Amino acid sequence: MLFWILVATLTAAVAAVLLLPLLRAAAGAEAPQSHDVEVYRDQLEELMRDEKNGLISGENAEFARAEVARRLLAATDAVKAAGPVQPARRSNRLAQIAIVLVLPAIGLCLYLRTGNPDLPDAPLAARLANPGDDINFLIARAEQQLVANPEDGAGWDVLAPIYYRSGRIEDAAAAFRNALRILGPTPARLGGYAESLIALSGGLITNEAQEALRKSLTIEPNDPRAQFYLALALKQEGKAPEALAAFQEIVKASPADAPWLPLVNEHIASLKADGAAASGEQAGTALGNPTADDVAAAQTMNAGDRNTMIEGMVASLAEKLKNDPKNFDGWMRIIRSYSVLGQKDKAAEALKQGLSAFPAEGEQGKQLLALAGELGLTADGGVK
Amino acid sequence: MIIELGHYALVLALGVSILQAIMPVFGAARADRALMEIGTVAAKATFLLVALSFGVLTYAHVTSDFSVQNVWENSHSQIPLIYKFSGVWGNHEGSMLLWMLILTFFSALVAVFGDNLPDTLKANVLAVQAWIASAFSLFILLTSNPFNRLVDVPGEGRDLNPVLQDIGLAIHPPLLYLGYVGFSVCFSFAVAALIEGRIDAAWARWVRPWTLAAWTCLTAGIAMGSYWAYYELGWGGWWFWDPVENASFIPWLAGTALLHSALVMEKREALKIWTVLLAILTFSMSLLGTFLVRSGVLTSVHAFATDPTRGVFILVILILFIGGAFSLFAFRAAHLKAGGLFAPISREGALVLNNLILTTAAATVLTGTLYPLVLEALTGAKISVGAPFFNMTFGLLMLPLLLAVPFGPLLAWKRGDLLGAGQRLFAAVAIGLAAGCAIYYAQHGGPIMALAGLVLGAYMIAGSLTELFLRSGIGKVAGSVALRRLAGLPRSVFGTALAHIGLGVTLIGIVAVTAFETEHIVEMKPGMTTDAGGYTLRFDGLRDGKGPNYTEQSGHFTVMRAGVIVTEMWSSKRLYTARRMPTTEAGIKTFGSSQLYVSLGDGMADGGVVVRIWWKPMILCIWGGALVMMMGGAVSLSDRRLRIGAPSRAKKQKRPVLEPAQ
Repeated sequence: MLFWILVATLTAAVAAVLLLPLLRAAAGAEAPQSHDVEVYRDQLEELMRDEKNGLISGENAEFARAEVARRLLAATDAVKAAGPVQPARRSNRLAQIAIVLVLPAIGLCLYLRTGNPDLPDAPLAARLANPGDDINFLIARAEQQLVANPEDGAGWDVLAPIYYRSGRIEDAAAAFRNALRILGPTPARLGGYAESLIALSGGLITNEAQEALRKSLTIEPNDPRAQFYLALALKQEGKAPEALAAFQEIVKASPADAPWLPLVNEHIASLKADGAAASGEQAGTALGNPTADDVAAAQTMNAGDRNTMIEGMVASLAEKLKNDPKNFDGWMRIIRSYSVLGQKDKAAEALKQGLSAFPAEGEQGKQLLALAGELGLTADGGVK
Repeated sequence: MIIELGHYALVLALGVSILQAIMPVFGAARADRALMEIGTVAAKATFLLVALSFGVLTYAHVTSDFSVQNVWENSHSQIPLIYKFSGVWGNHEGSMLLWMLILTFFSALVAVFGDNLPDTLKANVLAVQAWIASAFSLFILLTSNPFNRLVDVPGEGRDLNPVLQDIGLAIHPPLLYLGYVGFSVCFSFAVAALIEGRIDAAWARWVRPWTLAAWTCLTAGIAMGSYWAYYELGWGGWWFWDPVENASFIPWLAGTALLHSALVMEKREALKIWTVLLAILTFSMSLLGTFLVRSGVLTSVHAFATDPTRGVFILVILILFIGGAFSLFAFRAAHLKAGGLFAPISREGALVLNNLILTTAAATVLTGTLYPLVLEALTGAKISVGAPFFNMTFGLLMLPLLLAVPFGPLLAWKRGDLLGAGQRLFAAVAIGLAAGCAIYYAQHGGPIMALAGLVLGAYMIAGSLTELFLRSGIGKVAGSVALRRLAGLPRSVFGTALAHIGLGVTLIGIVAVTAFETEHIVEMKPGMTTDAGGYTLRFDGLRDGKGPNYTEQSGHFTVMRAGVIVTEMWSSKRLYTARRMPTTEAGIKTFGSSQLYVSLGDGMADGGVVVRIWWKPMILCIWGGALVMMMGGAVSLSDRRLRIGAPSRAKKQKRPVLEPAQ
């Protein structure tokens, strides 16, 4: 309400200011030529001063004086010829109406079209003082504290997984790194750090990530996450038999109802299938999987190129799945890829389409759901 | 609520502008002072409204109100306060609002200080200003609204473009806009004169201060931009003939021509029609520059956003204003009375030469800038017109102009004596030769053209001083008299001399740095040394650092001369975290007017780093000269006679302000 009062006051004030000249008694304008006369007189005076100060020679001054005097005469004649200007006695009613109407009309029409009168201001300081349950603000607040005290390891510990979940992978990696530096290694931190590095490289398990994972295994030898990623690394490097052995090792060590088993089994199945096929690469390429060459190439690329390459592969896979939705491995891969690329909404969309091809009641549908659970996706398009 | 109030103020400003665009014109046609008076009041009101709006946007940026889309896109809660301020105009929407602010500021200045203008002229000038203001505020509100809001308020902004996070950006655009938009006043005066069908005797006097002010700001803006590109982009160059640079340089050339022809018009009533045309042309070039930069036709750091509707909108504005003004000119020019006569060899003649060359130069640069665009639009072929074209054409055009510069002020009005002026310049030529050779030998070697260039530069400086010597009579009359006369010279004479000296200084800088600069690209490991410009640089290693919103890697260099440590310098690469964007922060050390410039490249696998080292002899002369030119502009502007401009209206008052001007 206060806003509209202010708007009305502002409009009225501006209109009043504009109306003032119209309400004054109208005086006639003077002939424009009378100004010229003044100017030439002024020029003559200036000339005299210049001559007196020795800035212009007597001869030149005489020339100039003659010239200005000629113009002065002509201008004086023109003023006489023009005669006195009659003051306009016409009423300005129309102009007054225009001012009173045009300002509010333009102001309101255009403002209501483009403005958001109900939206309150939101200066950062005020929002930080009263953050509510807004995740953005929990992050912002923690960040401000960490700027003031960057050695607060617990702060980094809290922030790192939040960064990771909200897609700020690079910040997550930095935060995990800080937490590791200040508070020392734990499997959770090392695993989180490795996962952010993997996400940063678009799903590839880099040497740095492997190093962190191995370190994690020295502390907690039965950490399935570390084991899984290291096995996946072997698969990515094209060492199929070693990878198969490593995955089977995980299955042996895991309880029978472990949530990650379907995913591990999927890898075992695909590795076995690859082994059975005459050429492992063919099956891989058919699904848009990076070949060993691709991986080697990816390792020499910079992060930007690598992401482009991965996005390209994902796009071609999506195209294939559109034409042939009965490709279970394809769905598993694309859901994982999207969530690695941080595109959670696309991942959820792919999950939905995958489930329509493989109903949730079936074995394969269950595997899709298990994967979704692991990645924090729900089938109705949301993110858990 | 504050944000929305700022938004509404902008809408209201459009409303007032529309009234200001229409009513004073009717008032002038009907000799109705009340209607004309609306122009004055409305101009002040529009300025206050736009200032309110701009203030609100600034407030939103400073308080990091991310509910404003513009703030979210171009700010960050952690950047230093100064970049929260400069971020207001470091983006398309905000910079257009700044454009509006300056435009309405100039209108308000005309309204406040225009009391001695004839009523009809003032009314028409303010109306034309309002046409421009209406068009641009409509453009802002419909296509580039800085007050767009976000309902789902983000927690953090996307940060200001890192290359724009620099003190140079805080100054460069406002100065440039003051120049661009300042010429709008000249344009409005020209169009107003055409509407009335007559040019007042004092027209040139009223236009000249605006031209001077705009020109001074534009000079400063271009020099600032050039220096900013030099130290921020890390390429070591100071002028690239980049289309965006040209877009600001073309109005400068046209404006310089306008400045000189307005001088002829003021003193001699000659070149009236030409001056009016130039005033229109200069602002048209400013508009064209705005179009090129804002439409996204050019992709560069300046094209903040590429949105075709904006381009089309500005193109329509461009066609309306430039086309309209030229049509009006075509209709009315024949009715205007031509001015006084003069012999070819005279001050007027020299200024005509100046105008011819400057406008040709502006046309050349314009052609070089537009030709690739037009060709691409018509045939799809991509060509680039680069430095060789401009250096060849523009350089050759400038040569006779630079030679003639010292002659101009020495020639008499109406009919001059070329031989006499030449004789008087004899000393200047001699000094120029001696000084040019001296610099040449100090820098050792270099192409022979460089010698000619240096001589030319030194000759221009000496020639400009000759004018002051001769007019004060130093050597002819007693010392004290000469000193008194020198002090008594009109400020505009000093302004002329300073501006011309500045041009000479810039020329020397350009020639010296082009001919004598050295460049080394080496891979350095800690402990290695490289020689540049007589100094030895030792690379000491890299260090990681962290700023408020970036991380950086800085290389440390020790600078030695003949084995003795002179100074040390840092050169760094930064990575701005929010945008993941790298920038180089070149290390620059100044020795006299020369600089050592070190830029870090990529790191190598073996721990070395690629380092580019330039020795830039006398490079500071380029911008130092521009500073001197600006001082010339400012001194001229302070000339009292110019400031008064016209006689005071009341005849009874014996002009209290007109006490002896010198």
